[in-house]
Amino acid sequence: MALISAALGRLGQALLLLIAMSLIGFIGIHSIGNPVFNIVNIETATPEDIQRATVALGLDQPIWRQYLLFVGSVVHGNFGTSYIYHLPALQLVMSKLPATLELACMAMLIAAPAGTGVGLLAGRRKGTRLDRTILKSSVFALSLPSFWLSMMLILIGAILTGWFPSGGRGATARVMGQEWSVLTLDGLWHMALPVLALAIPNIALIARLARAGTIEVESLDFTRFCRAKGLSPRRILLRHTLPNISMPIVTIIGLQFGGMLAFAVVVESIFSWPGVGKLLIDSIQLLDRPVVMATLTFISVVFVALNAFVDLFHAVLDPRVRLPS
Amino acid sequence: MKALILRALNRRPPLPALTLSGIILATFVLMALIAPVVAPQNPYDPLQIYGWEASSPPGTRGSGGYLYLLGTDGLGRDIVSCILYGLRISLMVSVTSAAIAALIGLTAGVSAAYFGRWVDIVIMRLVDLQLSLPTILIALIAIVTLGPGIDRIILALIIAQWAGYARLARSVALSETNKSYMDAALLMRLPTSRIILRHLLPNSIAPAVTLIPIEIGHAIALEATLSFLGLGVPIDKPSLGSTVANGFQYLLTGQYWISLFPGLALFGLIASINLVGEHLRRRLDPRSRPI
Repeated sequence: MALISAALGRLGQALLLLIAMSLIGFIGIHSIGNPVFNIVNIETATPEDIQRATVALGLDQPIWRQYLLFVGSVVHGNFGTSYIYHLPALQLVMSKLPATLELACMAMLIAAPAGTGVGLLAGRRKGTRLDRTILKSSVFALSLPSFWLSMMLILIGAILTGWFPSGGRGATARVMGQEWSVLTLDGLWHMALPVLALAIPNIALIARLARAGTIEVESLDFTRFCRAKGLSPRRILLRHTLPNISMPIVTIIGLQFGGMLAFAVVVESIFSWPGVGKLLIDSIQLLDRPVVMATLTFISVVFVALNAFVDLFHAVLDPRVRLPS
Repeated sequence: MKALILRALNRRPPLPALTLSGIILATFVLMALIAPVVAPQNPYDPLQIYGWEASSPPGTRGSGGYLYLLGTDGLGRDIVSCILYGLRISLMVSVTSAAIAALIGLTAGVSAAYFGRWVDIVIMRLVDLQLSLPTILIALIAIVTLGPGIDRIILALIIAQWAGYARLARSVALSETNKSYMDAALLMRLPTSRIILRHLLPNSIAPAVTLIPIEIGHAIALEATLSFLGLGVPIDKPSLGSTVANGFQYLLTGQYWISLFPGLALFGLIASINLVGEHLRRRLDPRSRPI
């Protein structure tokens, strides 16, 4: 029962968040210039042309009406048609999604085990030189602005050594009606640098979390008991400590996965990776209002859904979470 | 004097790492403050820039009579000067926004704890709303809404960062409201504003203050990212982020210095702030776990 009410409360909160997001986003997009001039030529257009275009885009309606119309069609999955590409906006976003997803998944597949491993190691040897080195490098890794990190990866990995390409998606293979770079060797080769750019800060973050958790758990009675029983340190670490620190790590993985979708904006525009993030920046610059809205809404929905999912996952695994705080 | 400071810092001598990062940070701040004096060139003044010396490699002697120690950018601006002036903008933007965000967040958090009921619900719903989205996304949405410009950037950063302070301040203030000095203040029928400003706020301020250096570091990175994406400071007044961005197109043809050195400065600045902030937090708030 507690589980169901926790789930309902969480869903309500998520819904509220989405409504607020759509409102803010809608108003926001409204204040970035008149998109009429994307479809009529600003120099040769007569006032009648502009009037026709305004009516065609629905811009002659009062703002609140435009918002209601917008919400009405969004519920049906219709964000309007891109002013630039003349395709349904949501379809455009969805067509860019596989590129972003494979980047984010790959980065997380590298960051989660690497970060956990490094964190366990540092926590196990608390206070040693290794621990201090790991801790210090994690501060440095988290201080790297992601755009500069990406550029330095290009400088080192592509320009100075020539090992990796500096941008683009490379060859793709077609599976389930979508193009995937991850399935071809050339595609993987193109993915290496952007994946590293997304993974490095996350390795540092997960490592710090795993280290703090390990230190806490290792000081508890049950690990002392395990040691008294004569279990090997490796077994204690992997079979007893790791499961006990996995909760915060799973949380941060969920949250950071959503964060990666947002950070993909930076990484994708540097590596000219044709994903959702690059689409967002291009659309902001081209005043392509429906696409900007569709992208922002989409990223928020994914993020809110991930958030709610992580919370529910907690409530299922850990009964203490179900109690109202 | 030194003994007094040491006592304030829990009577422990500062760690060598703190001293080193503190000195580096102090150097950055000093350089930013005296930039117009030490910079060989004013990169905002077109009369001091020689366009034909664009993209000169580090160590070139320019016709202005000074050495381009770190080279020039695509418009012929001296990189050293760009870094010094960029530091000013980055620090000004981040410190201002962190200070205002802390002020707003603290007031909101403490008010939520004091008034409770619907004030608490409204403020905390807003906070939840914000904290459940990544800061970069909020800043992006805010800057798209507000348009470019330095004042807009500061506003966008405040919008993106106030919620963190509010949540922290509320949780501290909630535990303070149960203490006997609050009962005494209420019994004396002090005016509400006085209770909040003179009693509750000063007692709940410490943990939030330790958050400020870390949030300044975040703000610098956020401002640089927005500027990099072309949504930040105007092009004729480059911050560190937009200087790095200007160098991006030249990076691919091997003119690495335009984005390498300003980026190094940015990285050094953020790293030293983070190191100092982390040490301060460990000192002032022993309960906090490093994350």
